[in-house]
Amino acid sequence: MSRPVVGAPRVWQFPEPERRTLDNGLRLLAFHRPGQHLLNATLVVDQPLVSEPRALEGVSSMILRVLDEGTRSHPGTDFADAVEGCGAVLHGGTSQSAAHLSIEVPVTRLDAALPLLAEVVREPQLSDDDVRRQVELRLAEIAQHRAHPAHRGGQEFRAAVIDGAFRASRSAAGEADTVAAISGEAVRTAHADQYRPDASTLVLAGDLPADLLGRVDRAFAGWRSTGSGAVQHESPLAAPPRCLLVHRSGAVQADVRLGSFGVDRSHPDWPALRLGTFVLGGGFLSRLNRVLREERGYTYGVQLTNVPARHGGLLSLHASFRTEVAAAAISEATDLLVTDGDRGITRPELTDAVNYLVGVAPLRCATAAGIVDQASALVEVGLDQSFVNRHTAELLRISPDQATDAVQRLLPLGALTLVVVGDADVLAEPLRAQGFDPQVVVDD
Amino acid sequence: MASMPPDVVRYPLHRTTLANGLQVVVSPDPSVPVVAVNLWFDVGSRDEQPGRTGLAHLFEHLMFEGSAQVAAGEHLAAVQAVGGSANATTWFDRTNYFETVPTGALDLALWLEAERLGSLRLTQETLDNQRDVVMEEKRQRYDNVPYGDVLIHLVELTFPADHPYGHPTIGSMADLVAADLADVRSFFATHYAPDNAVLTLVGDVDPADAVARVERTLGRLPAAGRPRRSPTPGLPPLAGVPRREVAARVPSDAAYLAWRLPARDSRHFDAAELALAVLGGGQTSRLHRRLVRTDEVAEGAGASATGLIAGTSTGFAHARALPGVAAEALEEAMLAEVTRLVDEGPEPAEVDRAKAQFEREWLSDLARLDSRADLFGCYATLHGDPGEVNERLDQVRSIEPDAVAAAARMYLRPEQRAVLTYRKER
Repeated sequence: MSRPVVGAPRVWQFPEPERRTLDNGLRLLAFHRPGQHLLNATLVVDQPLVSEPRALEGVSSMILRVLDEGTRSHPGTDFADAVEGCGAVLHGGTSQSAAHLSIEVPVTRLDAALPLLAEVVREPQLSDDDVRRQVELRLAEIAQHRAHPAHRGGQEFRAAVIDGAFRASRSAAGEADTVAAISGEAVRTAHADQYRPDASTLVLAGDLPADLLGRVDRAFAGWRSTGSGAVQHESPLAAPPRCLLVHRSGAVQADVRLGSFGVDRSHPDWPALRLGTFVLGGGFLSRLNRVLREERGYTYGVQLTNVPARHGGLLSLHASFRTEVAAAAISEATDLLVTDGDRGITRPELTDAVNYLVGVAPLRCATAAGIVDQASALVEVGLDQSFVNRHTAELLRISPDQATDAVQRLLPLGALTLVVVGDADVLAEPLRAQGFDPQVVVDD
Repeated sequence: MASMPPDVVRYPLHRTTLANGLQVVVSPDPSVPVVAVNLWFDVGSRDEQPGRTGLAHLFEHLMFEGSAQVAAGEHLAAVQAVGGSANATTWFDRTNYFETVPTGALDLALWLEAERLGSLRLTQETLDNQRDVVMEEKRQRYDNVPYGDVLIHLVELTFPADHPYGHPTIGSMADLVAADLADVRSFFATHYAPDNAVLTLVGDVDPADAVARVERTLGRLPAAGRPRRSPTPGLPPLAGVPRREVAARVPSDAAYLAWRLPARDSRHFDAAELALAVLGGGQTSRLHRRLVRTDEVAEGAGASATGLIAGTSTGFAHARALPGVAAEALEEAMLAEVTRLVDEGPEPAEVDRAKAQFEREWLSDLARLDSRADLFGCYATLHGDPGEVNERLDQVRSIEPDAVAAAARMYLRPEQRAVLTYRKER
């Protein structure tokens, strides 16, 4: 039997939400998805970390860590009992530009869960004792992350690629010296200042009941703004390229990141860059993975990824190579990123990349959780929901030359930052032999 | 507690078995123009021979290395090029292969599966290359991260070395090096055949049309005769508190407890799973409250069950120390909570919470087309009936607190545990 012909995909559009703004300024985006038995809701709070005091970085993230440790209506552990008792789970997270608090619960338990989500942002206890305990837990987490090669590599890469004058160059959840200084008072002050309905958006999806908006209104109407003033975001700039070798004695692999400060979704090059990076290092038979995994067997996998922020982004190759071949692998990876002359991105490569990026969108949005993730990510960076369909249309218009050109400008081969986390005693010499000049970082 | 309408998670199911023995399950869902294609092969690391461990997982890699009409790596690339995704995983009880594609590419996905099942290309070159890749996978996931080898130690503590579950799925690297092309070909011939597999399709398809498409592709392959397994009786509880201490470059000490549980297809297992949820599931669990919140000795603590089909499953509890706290202190606090649960049983509210959390997690697994297809494949392969997926919420809801207390007394006694500790090298 010969290879089947593939039928044209059905046209798919990102769904249009129902939009409302409550009297207190809270914006709502509701996606009705019949057959989705779980409700997913994410509250996005516009909360740029640049507003944190330098000496207390991590305080915004600490709010989220302590938020569910008790409320005035459900003090202490009563709150977690109420959340888990109705079959819900709460997750919180902080990016450089926003805090997001998510709840997932069977739609049948909506009436129990929505007021709990409102309660946790309106009237958290944020007690001194809970803050003290969560500070200890965050300090332990920092130690765990420093010992983990992928976490460590990501952290060092961020710090190396973004100019240190910007908040975005440092961990969103704060580092040991600033986290240790966070008090209950600091957390309560930051919460009162930042958790404002007029700076927040609630995104919901699921098999929603007809009177959903009324229920949301009842749960959140009593939430009042205690902060004021416009919310200011920063626009970070790139740092000069660097080459770092973070020493991990005895490591059997080198965790490698090679890349640059990239662009965000609003940048004119974004569609071309996404396609170009997919060709070089996104697909299974990308230029990088085909050679470094499938031909050489140097690694379990290599990817070139874009992580867009509100302003700018991180563009990096990531792989773990076994120590003995790491220097040669990095050198070969650098060569595989070359798109000059007859190595430009081809039409067939581009077509496959377009088909993939356009085709996976409906799958990602097939669940309530998928829709809310996508929609809240856009809210977080200040983009309207119409972005998805506009972006899809743009992907279809990019030419191979545009994709090649975007990669060449945004991933400048002579000026990339390299961060290697591995055994410096073994890696330093081979890296120098390959023409790199690593600055070795050794922990105390 | 509010309850779900009884039919709310009843997914339509169409089952058929082709002449070559391939079981086919189709569950239509028109919500998005996508279909999930999922193949469970009834082969896992439990089917490996001594001295040849790691072969089941190696196949998860080799199956992407080309066939008569498909080049190496092209299976994945071709699926991605139509806007789909594909992958595979290996576990003690199975190897699963799956694609999620726009509906127009269903034939392509089925053809790709039939191609590799009918004419997989097994050469020395791809064997050597993928063996290297697997070794990098082991280094990346097990050897180069703190606590990365925890599962290997727990498996070795819980099962005898010659038990089907006595070694981890990644296998021994020495065994992989020793495996030759003849071993690999023999493993393929024994386990990879339509009559040793379940194919599940979930998505925007018509059942009769979908089965006809399967007939035209996978239906043409010959049956091979299902491999026989010798029965694996359930093991008695652990005795003598087997213990292993690992000194390693980890950021802090950690402690793990392990128990043997009954096979996953029994109500006793479900009850034991709820008991472990009371002990260590979520923020309201006893381990979290005691070790993280009250005693402040751990940065995290929890417990969970891993369901296995061949006679014996496992349950684990874990805690990772705050700086300066020794593993002994963790073990002591964990043991105090285990003893209290075994002696006094759970509160009804704790069991209700555990069931409510199970319900959400179960609905979350069912929400995605690909994981829903995987559940149908799982229940068809291991439990003999994909329809159990539709009964599962009721099954778990009907377990009373007394049954959870009894399961804790029967399976989670302190003297039935094994202990693994990590000690931070200074």
